[in-house]
Amino acid sequence: MNSLERVVATVNFKKSDRVPVIAQVFGHAAVLKGVPLDEYIQDGEILARCQLDALEKYKYDAVFTVVDVNIETEALGSILDYRKNQYAVIKKYAFSDEYNIDKLTIPDCKKAGRMPEVLKALKILKSTLKNDVLIVGCVLGPLTLTTQLLGIEKALYLAIDEPENFEKILDFSCNVLIDFGLAQISAGAHLPIVFDSSASPAVVPHNFFREFEAPRLKKLFNAFKTGGAIANWLHIAGPSGSILPYYSEIGVNIANFDYCVNPEVAMSTLPETCLDGNIKPLAFVENNESDILSESNQLLDMFSKRGGFILSSGCEIPPESKPENITAMINAVKH
Amino acid sequence: MTHKKIDAFINYLLEGNCNESVTSAKELHNEGISKEQIILEGLEVAMIQLGAKCTVEQFNLLEIMLTGRAVMEVMKYLYPEGSIPEKTKGTVVIAALEGDVHDLGKNILKMVLTAKGYNVVDCGKDCTIQQLVDAAKEKSPFAIGISGLVTSIIPLVKQIRGALNSQGLNNIKILAGGAALKQSLKEQLNVDYIADSAFDGVHYLEEIRRK
Repeated sequence: MNSLERVVATVNFKKSDRVPVIAQVFGHAAVLKGVPLDEYIQDGEILARCQLDALEKYKYDAVFTVVDVNIETEALGSILDYRKNQYAVIKKYAFSDEYNIDKLTIPDCKKAGRMPEVLKALKILKSTLKNDVLIVGCVLGPLTLTTQLLGIEKALYLAIDEPENFEKILDFSCNVLIDFGLAQISAGAHLPIVFDSSASPAVVPHNFFREFEAPRLKKLFNAFKTGGAIANWLHIAGPSGSILPYYSEIGVNIANFDYCVNPEVAMSTLPETCLDGNIKPLAFVENNESDILSESNQLLDMFSKRGGFILSSGCEIPPESKPENITAMINAVKH
Repeated sequence: MTHKKIDAFINYLLEGNCNESVTSAKELHNEGISKEQIILEGLEVAMIQLGAKCTVEQFNLLEIMLTGRAVMEVMKYLYPEGSIPEKTKGTVVIAALEGDVHDLGKNILKMVLTAKGYNVVDCGKDCTIQQLVDAAKEKSPFAIGISGLVTSIIPLVKQIRGALNSQGLNNIKILAGGAALKQSLKEQLNVDYIADSAFDGVHYLEEIRRK
């Protein structure tokens, strides 16, 4: 089996030659190659080359074109601060001053901000890897993009003070993400993972998620499935236990769960959904190989009868992680 | 009658109703209730009730934000143009360090500390270690609160203790919180406490004040 076949079989709870292992290696790929992070996040070719080199080193089952969480908001007018060897941060939100809620325009993915660089990276990865390895694009969730357009506090207060206007921006965000996600699938992504950090119960309560975000995520995933995504992958970090019950209705096929979510709870809540997780991200920086191997083996044991499991970290493996720790996780599935 | 009005005031705060909270605070003040009493018997009580509801399992950040916003509006009425209460429980300097993605966690801590009667010095987001140390030298806090959402700020957090000590500020406690910092240990971060939530952090500060 190649990596893509292995992942697809696992997502569908079918027999595979081994458990897939997907290290959420984003900026760490740049660190490995000695490329400054700020160059990695601005150049699709560098990003693709770093991802390919990291794949060659670690031999895991997926590559990512996750750049940072500001691609879409930058394309819509937010001003970013690019700093040496760091992820970019938002200096000014696109909707921090005035905006006409009825005249918002979806950006052209071929021209706007760094969107073309993401598409370029996907084309390089697809022409190199073809259908051997899972190629993962990335879009934000509608709520997260909304918070990246307004600023998180302004967005959440708007949800309470002016829910109709808040929903208009959410719908706009959803349409932006559908457009960008479909462009990524056309460029070579097997699926765009949906990062929705602001939808975490650490930020909004589960009934807020159910009312505002779940219907938009469902629309997003429907569009991606129709557009050719091989599966729908939702990534909400933090204590997501209270919103897992909504995932099936939304159409999630792969559910990321973070280190603070009990795997037993995730399994019992989503018996027919593939789960990926959940080693603590900072453990790849602060712990050692035997810790990672031990935790990996515990997870593999827990999921051995159930299947539908991808060994991974709970969230991004920090750029500064120790390579030997990532290798330890990968070795766990191979021995 | 006043008790009923204070209870109503607390309810407005817990509902996050800014206008009614401020109106209610004005009425109480006009009836002779001191500013200090309004904080102690109104804002602080509201925060205690909210804190009791917000366990790790039942944490509702949005609810805290709404009450926090009402609290800050009441404080603006009581102490306009940046003036501070004559009596506070002490000064806490807070910051989000340079490179972090946003400072929501810090702002939540600010609201809770303010409602509990602390003087909060907010160094904002994108704060450098030097700015933090300068604020500590100038404002003489008994604690510093740092929130961190991304692991890339961890090397900065580790430097704070040494930077404070080099200026003779060894007695200042360092409180850390936020998604990235919560994954670590206080010994690793070189801080005094890692809080699960803003309320947990304030509980720690209340404890060390009593000692």
